Amino acid sequence: MQVAGRKHRHRLWWIAVFLAAASALSAQSMIGKRLEVLTDTLTADLMGLPAVVASTAWEPAEQVVPSLGLTDEVSWVRLRIDPRSENGQLIEIQNAGIDELTGYMVCDGKVIATYERGALQTGPFDATFGTYPTFPVPLVECDELHAVFRLKSSKPLLLPVRIAGPRQVLNDAHQRDILFAAYFGVILVMLLYNLFLFFSVGDRSYLEYSLFIFMIGGTQFVLNGYAPYFNVNDWPWLNERITHLFGVLSGLTTIVFAQNFLRLSRYVPWLHKLLNGYFLVYLVALVLTLAGQLTWAYNVINFCAAAIFFFIPGAVITMRKGYSPAKYFLLAFSIFIVAVIVFVMKDAGVIPYNQWTFFALPLGSAIEMVLLSLALASRINQLKKESAHAREEQLRISQLNERIVREQNTKLEERVRDRTADLEQVNASMRSTLDELQSAQQQLVQSEKLASIGQLTAGIAHELNNPINFVASSAQSLRRDFEDLNEIIGMVKAMDASDDALENQVTAIKEKLSQLDIDFTQQEIDELLNGIEDGTNRTSEIVKGLRIFSRMDGDNFIQAQLNELIESTLIVLRSTIKDRAVVDLQLGDDVPPVMCQPGRLNQVFMNTITNAVQAMDGLDREVEENCVSIRTARVESIGQDWAEVRIKDTGAGMSDAVKSQIFDPFFTTKPVGEGTGLGLSIVMGILSDHNAEVEVESEEGTGTEFIIRFPL
Amino acid sequence: MINVLYLDDEAHNLTAFRAAFRRDFQVHVTTEPTDAVRILREHPIEVIISDQKMPKLSGVEFFELIAPDYPDPVRMLLTGHADIDAVIDAINKGQIYKYIAKPWNESELRDLVKEASALYHDRQAIVLRGEDLQQRMSKAEQEAVKIQALTSSQTALTADETARVFELANAIQRLLQA
Repeated sequence: MQVAGRKHRHRLWWIAVFLAAASALSAQSMIGKRLEVLTDTLTADLMGLPAVVASTAWEPAEQVVPSLGLTDEVSWVRLRIDPRSENGQLIEIQNAGIDELTGYMVCDGKVIATYERGALQTGPFDATFGTYPTFPVPLVECDELHAVFRLKSSKPLLLPVRIAGPRQVLNDAHQRDILFAAYFGVILVMLLYNLFLFFSVGDRSYLEYSLFIFMIGGTQFVLNGYAPYFNVNDWPWLNERITHLFGVLSGLTTIVFAQNFLRLSRYVPWLHKLLNGYFLVYLVALVLTLAGQLTWAYNVINFCAAAIFFFIPGAVITMRKGYSPAKYFLLAFSIFIVAVIVFVMKDAGVIPYNQWTFFALPLGSAIEMVLLSLALASRINQLKKESAHAREEQLRISQLNERIVREQNTKLEERVRDRTADLEQVNASMRSTLDELQSAQQQLVQSEKLASIGQLTAGIAHELNNPINFVASSAQSLRRDFEDLNEIIGMVKAMDASDDALENQVTAIKEKLSQLDIDFTQQEIDELLNGIEDGTNRTSEIVKGLRIFSRMDGDNFIQAQLNELIESTLIVLRSTIKDRAVVDLQLGDDVPPVMCQPGRLNQVFMNTITNAVQAMDGLDREVEENCVSIRTARVESIGQDWAEVRIKDTGAGMSDAVKSQIFDPFFTTKPVGEGTGLGLSIVMGILSDHNAEVEVESEEGTGTEFIIRFPL
Repeated sequence: MINVLYLDDEAHNLTAFRAAFRRDFQVHVTTEPTDAVRILREHPIEVIISDQKMPKLSGVEFFELIAPDYPDPVRMLLTGHADIDAVIDAINKGQIYKYIAKPWNESELRDLVKEASALYHDRQAIVLRGEDLQQRMSKAEQEAVKIQALTSSQTALTADETARVFELANAIQRLLQA
């Protein structure tokens, strides 16, 4: 900021110098009202100078600085000169931009002198009396002395004309040169300074500003007639067009500069687009210029110059939007526009034409340059600030992003945690379900076991009932029979051989014997004893079978005879089977003992045999037709010895669909409530524990055969 | 003596039964249902006892089988273990009087047989009495017809005829009172 402030003061000093120089300019009296304009230009064109001189169609100009407008036509103007007071003086036309200018001195209707562009400007450029064309008033004796000018220009014909002494003209020219030199100095310094900044900083806006300064300065240079210093007159084509070219280029650079400086594309897009439109119009002006349509080109350029009026609202809007450098821009262009207005009003005669008003334009332009330079510095600062701000914003956004990411992460982690917890919960519930299922299965297996135990006890109870019944009953009957016998024995004991009545006693005994039907009794006793014997045998057989069957050696593998196990199972099942089927038992003698869990194998045999019997229930036929055949044998298969058990029924058989499911838990063909559907799955489990192979052959309507092979 | 038929596939039970009850009843035993039918035909059986669980047919089935031809003998079912289905079947289909569990209690069984026999005889008595009543009723009806014949033919009865009517009326009274 301090540097900027110093620069600021620096420039203010320049402005002070500029103003001081300007104040040295003296007021000049324009004699536009003494000028007469030829209205009958047609005659002049046809007849030439003599007709002009002879013409009476002259009309006085109304303004202090007459304006003949922008026209392709040749204009004629004359000035009546007082030969006595004004001879030896110079007529100065303070317009360096007139393309064709010829002055004629007419004394009493006779042309006495002809000057091209000015008396002393004989060469391409002669700056004896400055940059403006001057015409010396000849020292002649005339009643009427006129200076007649033939003018033609592609620019507006503005005629600030005065008559002054050579010293005065020269003096003013010097002053003007000095001021313009100062002005161009300022421009040059600014140009170089900004170019330098461009090359060192690399910011494009400095280059644009440099171009803008160059074009504005160049325009002033050309407009004020300094172009011939660079021998532009040697190239008439360029000389004719240079004002237009500078007009186009300064317009373009101004617009580019304004657009970028005010950042219109960002702050005021509509204006940016509108100004882009001006590029096209300037292109038209350029084409017209190059094509030589200079009047039209000038009109177009003039029209385009109005674009700077848009800069004011543009700057205001931009400023309002918080872009502070816009205020320098606004001030700079406001001053410039005021200068333009002053310049135009001076020409229009609204305000006096003097060096002040004349110099308003370059002055305004210089002030504009300086202010814009300040604006540019401010803009650079602003940009720096903005970029810092942007960096901060970037940082803030990235921090915000980071925070958001962190939050998202936290949320994500939370969700993962939640999901994990959910999953764990699900797992736990699945585990507990699994546990429940396992315990349910165990319970079912247990209940299946209990059911078979129930079946077993019922069968045993029934099986024991008969022997117990007849043994008990027989014992009572035997007692009675023996009472009868005892009676006889008593009678026999009481016999006394010495007694006379022996005969009688024998008769009595015989009578008793026949009364008691002792032969029958003896036979009965025999039968009863047989029954008791048979009953006890059977009971002990049952108990033995029961012991074998229910051998709860549990899970211990021991050597056991399959035949024995099957027999014991059949004892237990006898009462169950008795009224439902016949058993065809063929146990092979060669079947060796098998390492097994006998208790569990009994469950296998009981299940399969019961299934075989059940498969034949409800077929409505004689019991003899329901045959369960059980065979055991030692076989050789797949190069190995096996103990084979075949349990075959003549029952209903199974379809393949049923057959494929019989070992599945809970599969049953029995009505609901009659079977758990676990029997065969338990069988399968037990057999796989024994590494036994199970084969099921079944045909619907014929029967089913279970083939179980135990490895030896 | 009460005629009892006992059917059981277990021969030892038959022996034991006969030994136990031959002194009290006329005991007929067999292991074969066909033989049981023969015995029913040949002897005036009052009480039938059958084992429920037999290889060829069950006790209930046996009772069902003989019911049309021998409705009168009282039936008792004997079985080894409490089988609720057998009991329900026995009551619904076999018109069973009693259900006896093995092993039997000899004196209880004896009493039951006696009760059954009494029931049989009561039933028989009722049947006989009914038949007797029917006979007497038809006789009384015949007497009444005779009275009607006497009273409808004439307006006035002779002394003999009146005496005859009284005699007939008394006969009817006797028949009905018996």
